[in-house]
Amino acid sequence: MTKLDHKKVLAERLSARFGRRAVLKGLGAGIVTAATGSMPSLARAQQSGHIKIASIKVIDTLDPHFTGFLSSIQIINNIHNGLLKIAYDGENVTFEPDLAESWDLEDDKTHVFKLRDGVKFHDGTPCDAEAVKFSLLRVKEGQPKSPHAWKLALLERIEVVDPLTVKLVFSQPYAFLPVALNGSTGRAGTIVSPAAVQKYGTDYGRNPVGTGPFKFVSWKENDSIELEANPDYFEPGLPKLERATFVLMNEASTALAALMSGQIDGMTDCPMQLVNQIEAFPNATLYGEIEGNYTFVGMNCKRSPFDDINLRRAVAWALDRDTIVKQAYFGRAQQAYTPISPPMTDFFDPDIATSGRGQWYDLDKAKAFRAKAANQGEIEAVYMMAERGPVGTRIAQTVAPMLAEIGIKAKLELVEPATWVKRRNGSDFDLYDFEWVADLDPDETLYPEFKSDGAWNFGGWVNTDFDDLCAQAQVELDPAARRALYYKAEDLLMDEAGIAVMAHMPIYKVFSNKVKGFKYIPADLVNLHSVSLG
Amino acid sequence: MSMHTPEAPATLSPPVPLDTAKRSRRSVFVRRPFFTIAVIVTVAYLVAALFAPQVAPFDPVTQDFNVMMQPPTAAHLFGTDSYGQDILSRVIYGARFALIIGIFAVLIGAAGGLVIGLAAGLSGGASEWALMRLIDAILALPSLILAVAFIAILGQGVDKVVIAVGLSMIGPFARTVRSDVLQVRVQLFIEAAQLMSIPYLRVVWRHVLPNVIFPLAVQVTIRISEAILVSSSLSFLGIGVTPPTPDWGLMIAEGRDFVSFAPWMSAMPGFALALLLIALTIVGDGIREEFDPKLRKDS
Amino acid sequence: MLLQALGKIAQTLVVLFFVSVASFGLLKLAPGDPIQIMLGSEYSQESYDSLKTELGLDQPFLVQYADWAGRFIQGDWGTSYVARAEIFTYAFKEALPVTLTLASFSLAFAILIGVPLGVLSAIKKDTIFDAGSAVLALTGTAFPSFLLGILLIWFFAVKLQLFPVMGYVSPWENFWLGIYHMILPGLTLSTYFIAMITRLTRATLIEVMEQPYITAARARGEPSWRVVWVHGVRNIAMPLVTILGLQLGVLLQGTVFTETVFNLPGIGQMLTSAVLGREYLVVQAGVMMTAALFIGVNLLVDLSYPFLDPRLRARK
Repeated sequence: MTKLDHKKVLAERLSARFGRRAVLKGLGAGIVTAATGSMPSLARAQQSGHIKIASIKVIDTLDPHFTGFLSSIQIINNIHNGLLKIAYDGENVTFEPDLAESWDLEDDKTHVFKLRDGVKFHDGTPCDAEAVKFSLLRVKEGQPKSPHAWKLALLERIEVVDPLTVKLVFSQPYAFLPVALNGSTGRAGTIVSPAAVQKYGTDYGRNPVGTGPFKFVSWKENDSIELEANPDYFEPGLPKLERATFVLMNEASTALAALMSGQIDGMTDCPMQLVNQIEAFPNATLYGEIEGNYTFVGMNCKRSPFDDINLRRAVAWALDRDTIVKQAYFGRAQQAYTPISPPMTDFFDPDIATSGRGQWYDLDKAKAFRAKAANQGEIEAVYMMAERGPVGTRIAQTVAPMLAEIGIKAKLELVEPATWVKRRNGSDFDLYDFEWVADLDPDETLYPEFKSDGAWNFGGWVNTDFDDLCAQAQVELDPAARRALYYKAEDLLMDEAGIAVMAHMPIYKVFSNKVKGFKYIPADLVNLHSVSLG
Repeated sequence: MSMHTPEAPATLSPPVPLDTAKRSRRSVFVRRPFFTIAVIVTVAYLVAALFAPQVAPFDPVTQDFNVMMQPPTAAHLFGTDSYGQDILSRVIYGARFALIIGIFAVLIGAAGGLVIGLAAGLSGGASEWALMRLIDAILALPSLILAVAFIAILGQGVDKVVIAVGLSMIGPFARTVRSDVLQVRVQLFIEAAQLMSIPYLRVVWRHVLPNVIFPLAVQVTIRISEAILVSSSLSFLGIGVTPPTPDWGLMIAEGRDFVSFAPWMSAMPGFALALLLIALTIVGDGIREEFDPKLRKDS
Repeated sequence: MLLQALGKIAQTLVVLFFVSVASFGLLKLAPGDPIQIMLGSEYSQESYDSLKTELGLDQPFLVQYADWAGRFIQGDWGTSYVARAEIFTYAFKEALPVTLTLASFSLAFAILIGVPLGVLSAIKKDTIFDAGSAVLALTGTAFPSFLLGILLIWFFAVKLQLFPVMGYVSPWENFWLGIYHMILPGLTLSTYFIAMITRLTRATLIEVMEQPYITAARARGEPSWRVVWVHGVRNIAMPLVTILGLQLGVLLQGTVFTETVFNLPGIGQMLTSAVLGREYLVVQAGVMMTAALFIGVNLLVDLSYPFLDPRLRARK
């Protein structure tokens, strides 16, 4: 492969990943992409306005290299920048250089990033190649070990070419890199101030120092996280707000009331049961689309009764997805046939419903499989659920009667979220429902979740062919060939019914109509860079 | 600290005590119209709980997404919830769970309280001191935290909620029992019995226990409402009774997200709960005023 | 006297010891741990183990308890595992004042509403007013407080726009704004106590009004308002204080829901999220503070009797 080829591949990967999709409300004309390149910041931005946004989910830490929560990333992203960023123009999701001014492939394993000149962290120290190296190494091999270290496992070495150039050398071609540096809870490519890390150590998460448009001011537990504008931010004219408060809340119905009474200006997340009420409320706008996720009923393949493939298949075909979408997701979600979700345009088949691939509702087929199952008596299965996730226990409650149709008595067990995590990780369940969210690439949608010995493969479905297909796809840079590999892998998973896939969900944000300039990005982000209060 | 505090009436004082001087020998039900109404209401709940399958128009857990979140209509008098389940039927079945949780949780609390309270009140010296500190500690621990911790350990479901709520009520019961024991212990008849060298356990059984049991029984009637409220609060925190059990607390908690456009989802079970609690309180007060010797100064 | 004081202190310490062991042990028995919660779904076993060692959670129970207790006594309350919050600041400086403010406001509401209502009920005994206030008071106690809070929010804050929906403003910093934010939560939390105080006041007063000295006061020709409000109501103080001390636990428990619904960053919310998130050290701090508060208030109640009841003073 020549250098040009890599560049072409890179360009292909970076563009047209996501197709045009309907935008719910709001998101319309007038989206201006901030100019990249180091422009001299002639006029400092005039910042004004104080936005208050409810954050209903848990904020674990503001340390990008240790967080496991998208709700934390939403805030972290306003304080920090990455090497690359996710951009969205209403049609396509692209990865654009952020702190990097340019990104080149020297060969298929060597990536060269040229950094912007003159960027400083909020503590005044320069954001240079050394800082980038420091941050990446902190993810890869820092102590205590970052949960995102696996994303940089293939990174062999980091070379500081000059103060503004850094070279990453991988042991294999790494198709997943832009996502690893950027995607979802990954943020492995987020650059933190080395001086601040040295100063605060493990307490960095309470004293984050980045290069972003907002500086961290304070964090009061159960109360608020305060940010203020960074007047020296490198994108000219940004940020527009003077101050931003994330109001930390536990009760969604109170957040809705506060939004309606004008006490807050937005919500970083809108639980699905509140969506109808927001739509009926004229003074707020809902932002959201089907994002890169899928929900499923997981079955424990390691133990009876779901070690029986026919029983698993019966479950997969017995779930009435239409009812699930209407009842559990208030009609907001979209039926899923396979895990690969609509935003992955290179891989998602728009005609999947008629393609004959995947799983859907067919009670006769389900009963036929049920008739082949080893246990023909009534089967009692423990269905573990918790008040967690986007719709709490709604899926379990909706699915239980469907399982009864094929002679499976789901014993619904409500457990506390902490216990739920413990039992899920320990594969102590027969059935549970879960969702993998904010995925931008089929690799992170399939491979770590269902790898035979994978840590996240809680159901314990084992298929070495699947592993091989995914491993091949990981180093395959041609999208068409990669797609074929993932289709084969998916078909194995769906046919052996390691899971019963249910739906792709929209993820919502809400802002009052006086909030202008919010750019929706379908990766559960709340970037306030260009937001202003009208 | 609490144990040196003169024991105040642990519950509320009589709401409508009749003028004692004018009390006649007429039936309780004639003299106390509120009490009568409350008894009728309570009996109605009991009937609903016992004969729920006969009384309820629908199965409480049959879902129908065609009638999701409907306001009250002729077919669904109390409306439907977000699964299309009939709220009236769920409220009727809910009486079962409310009464089961209320009664059994309080019984557990009362039994535990009786044992610890008796032990603390009767033993002397170091063990009494230690038991008292134990009761103080149980009281000083927020009972909701206790309930949450017990739920986390035991798991969830109606039976677990009964145990968790019951265990968390042991403290207040133990305190009342002990103070009653202390009052009885110094009475002359106990001293007399001891002088007559009647065996200790027999004294306890024949003389102490009866004097402790009655106030305890009154406590039980009054604390049933508290137990039901605590269990519904657990549902608010997302732990406790397992959905789709038709439990009022769970229904109220599930409906709270829809208050602005489907208020019946929370309101109907809320009113059912409130009515039962008011009735129970009035019945409890009535019984106490009628039968508690301390309150019957004129008889 | 000194001996008595020392005894009290010893008792308090023993109780606090029991409380701390119980809460630490109970929570450790519950499945789940903070690191699992912190790491979300996308984690690796290596990073789990590494964090567990880092936070000292791989130590045996007794070591962890002793470590905590040793530091706690020295005033080092530690930091929360996940968010790395300075627990002393979080619990004592931030959360405690919120809960104390909320509790005092609701007690003030309860007394300001409950006592007059009780007195009027006693005076107008067995009238429609009496029955009405009894039913009203009962209704307040019969709704779960979280439902009451949500209903108050939707009616008074969203529909009528009279009050803020949520949030805490310190009355020390901005007195009127602080009060303004406390009205709905204070009212929600106080309903139970309004009912209790109304009934207590009514019962006490009815009893008191039959006492000879009241008859004497009346005979002296004192105006009836004076008889009731000066001679009569004075007697309410003692049972009131007693019952408030004993029911403090109920009040603190109520703050959990009131704080969650009105999003007040107090101890109630702190304890709930800490218990659910298995933040053992935060739970310990919260439990120790509430226990100390409970014991302290009841001590104060004991000490206040001589001031409230002249007869007790005379006996000494």
